[in-house]
Amino acid sequence: MTTPRTLSHGPGVPQAANTATPAIEARALTRRFGGERHLFARSPTVHAVNEVSFAVQTGETFAVVGESGCGKSTLGRLLLRLIDATEGRVFYQGEDITHWHGAKLRRLRREMQIIFQDPFASLNPGMTVGQIIGEPVAFHGLARNAAERRERVAQLLSKVGLQPAYADRYPHEFSGGQRQRVGIARALAGEPKLIVGDEPVSALDVSVQAQVINLLESLKAELGLTLIMVAHDLAVIRHMSDRVAVMYLGEIVELAQVDELFDAPLHPYTQALLRAIPAGSPRERRMKPALQGDLPSPTAPPPGCRFHTRCPHAKPRCSEERPLAETLAGGRQVACHFWRELQNAGSSAPLVASVSAKLSERLTLYRAWQATVMDMPADRPAHAPTDIPTNALADAPTETRGGTQAVPDSPGPTAAADR
Amino acid sequence: MTGEGGPILDVRGFSLKFSNAPEMPNVVDDISFAVRAGETLCMVGESGCGKSVTSLALMGLLASPPARRVAGTAHFEGEDLFAMSERKLADIRGNRMSMIFQEPMTSLNPAYTIGEQIAESIRRHRGIKRAQAREEALTMLRLVRIPAPETRLDAFAHQLSGGMRQRAMIAMALANSPRLLIADEPTTALDVTIQAQVLSLIRTLQAQTGTAMLLITHDLGVVAEVADRVAVMYAGKIVEYGTVADLFDDPQHPYTIGLMGAIPSVGKREGALSTIRGSVPSPSQMPRGCRFAPRCPFAQRRCFEHAPPERKLAGEHRVACWLAPVEQFAASAQREELI
Repeated sequence: MTTPRTLSHGPGVPQAANTATPAIEARALTRRFGGERHLFARSPTVHAVNEVSFAVQTGETFAVVGESGCGKSTLGRLLLRLIDATEGRVFYQGEDITHWHGAKLRRLRREMQIIFQDPFASLNPGMTVGQIIGEPVAFHGLARNAAERRERVAQLLSKVGLQPAYADRYPHEFSGGQRQRVGIARALAGEPKLIVGDEPVSALDVSVQAQVINLLESLKAELGLTLIMVAHDLAVIRHMSDRVAVMYLGEIVELAQVDELFDAPLHPYTQALLRAIPAGSPRERRMKPALQGDLPSPTAPPPGCRFHTRCPHAKPRCSEERPLAETLAGGRQVACHFWRELQNAGSSAPLVASVSAKLSERLTLYRAWQATVMDMPADRPAHAPTDIPTNALADAPTETRGGTQAVPDSPGPTAAADR
Repeated sequence: MTGEGGPILDVRGFSLKFSNAPEMPNVVDDISFAVRAGETLCMVGESGCGKSVTSLALMGLLASPPARRVAGTAHFEGEDLFAMSERKLADIRGNRMSMIFQEPMTSLNPAYTIGEQIAESIRRHRGIKRAQAREEALTMLRLVRIPAPETRLDAFAHQLSGGMRQRAMIAMALANSPRLLIADEPTTALDVTIQAQVLSLIRTLQAQTGTAMLLITHDLGVVAEVADRVAVMYAGKIVEYGTVADLFDDPQHPYTIGLMGAIPSVGKREGALSTIRGSVPSPSQMPRGCRFAPRCPFAQRRCFEHAPPERKLAGEHRVACWLAPVEQFAASAQREELI
């Protein structure tokens, strides 16, 4: 357990985990929407992001988690300067980029990219995949002529585990997982240093989701990317990230190393969030929901602590005084008046599903056999008749091109060894 | 079969096809399952596996043509739903058998208040007075624990939050005390804290009323949380069926195993995730033999050529795989290699 070193900091004071210049940093970042004057009335003001501060180190996977409407997507877009902040500042590699525009901002775009949630809505249906990926290549001047551009597109496609021949196809010809791979290839086209994934796997089926997660991880290791994951799926976050920021109604309520957070959540909201995850095993069912009620409207956030209306431990002080983020040893932050008293309040760590002996034996076999099949792409026809639809195998990365690129689906040492 | 009387819903050998593509294989192929009073059967599978189409076919909500039942029966309290007249089905639907959909915003009528919509279903099936039906609707809203139910009765769908809308849907579905509730991804559109509330609500209400439930989901976490029995579907087939303990303790089909390995754990990280190679086959490219063979790491020649029959294991557990249990197959494959 961490021994709390009580240094109280206002939300405007950034706390870097170490002294290196962070890849990206938010300082008291605030964004409000609405509030315009109309004929007779003002539109309601939505307090989407409120005085959020944190720093992401180079090479880190930083996750922002919260329920819908908590402001996590807005935060991701603020960092990338896709929307402008109402107040506060964004620093990229030590430089204040809050008010950059024109050519300077365009150069910045090459370094920072985004992967969207819905791979169908974010790809232009009238463009071929080659055009979609080739556009940023041309825009950033990474190819001198059409031949070079084609070559670059082919490289990017095989990097994400798609056949280079797919460049001539349109988005509707692909499955959801393949489309998300196209979205990733496009994000990689400008050779970015930082990628924001806005729910990059939540629209995908479980089996395909695992492929894309593994792909993102091996690409990150290979290219030395900094990754910011905006997501609501806590299991995906536990699996992928180094540090996690938990957001509630536009504010960060807790920020910690991923293991700290999942093993001993301090904020009552984090505790409730973790307890709401389905058990994962029929023997460990949760009988009681952790939280009652709905998220309050961000047009009228509750006074004091924004969580007090749903918090099972709320006291009078919580509705009167806004809790400031307190920084503990190791850079962990928590914004709750009573976190010390509540540390052991609610058997808070999520129960980890116990895996049966048979399942674990069979999973081991499954992985081992999968690995041998992956290693020998030419081996397949030995068993299989020739009329297997090749499309069914198209997602399998080894089907693309020799073993020169990262093999996203294999239980690769690259992704795992980095931890 | 366990002893608590016959099943509420008993589906046998059900196959479905779309007639605008007669040359294509069945979209749902020869599936059988039963749901008993007070029990929850979870149908789990990825998009396109035929789980939603099955539920819509049972409710008589699939346009026919193009949907065409090729074979099979579905006995609901002893009567075959597929042989029923449209009028009779309309009497049962929303009454003894009702449904909850995934996206409550699109399944609630935006032009009527919540109270009117719940009352309509009560009046349609029970023929009681307007005022009395409104009173009943209020009782239902209390039952599903909507805050301030008196005011919500006159609210429109857009004035409610996602969780509240889903509660209103549940209130409507349960208004006439159905014997069978079909829930198609009831919590998929909800946040995790709201999902926990809704699952707990469904479980409590089911314990009180003894309603049988067919719950369709893609989420094995939800299955672990609420299921009594589970049918794993892949590409229109039930590849494995059993009690929830069978499935989680002794998963037999490689697809079930792969699916469980593909879910990230909330526990400590353990290397890269297992994956299932490739993606679900489209109906036009349905493999001839076992439909999972092209994605299965264990697949042999036989798997590509012949569809495996369903095999009975202990109790109700059954699996459609030539090679299960895989550890036996793997051991024998290794022996052959040595020779």
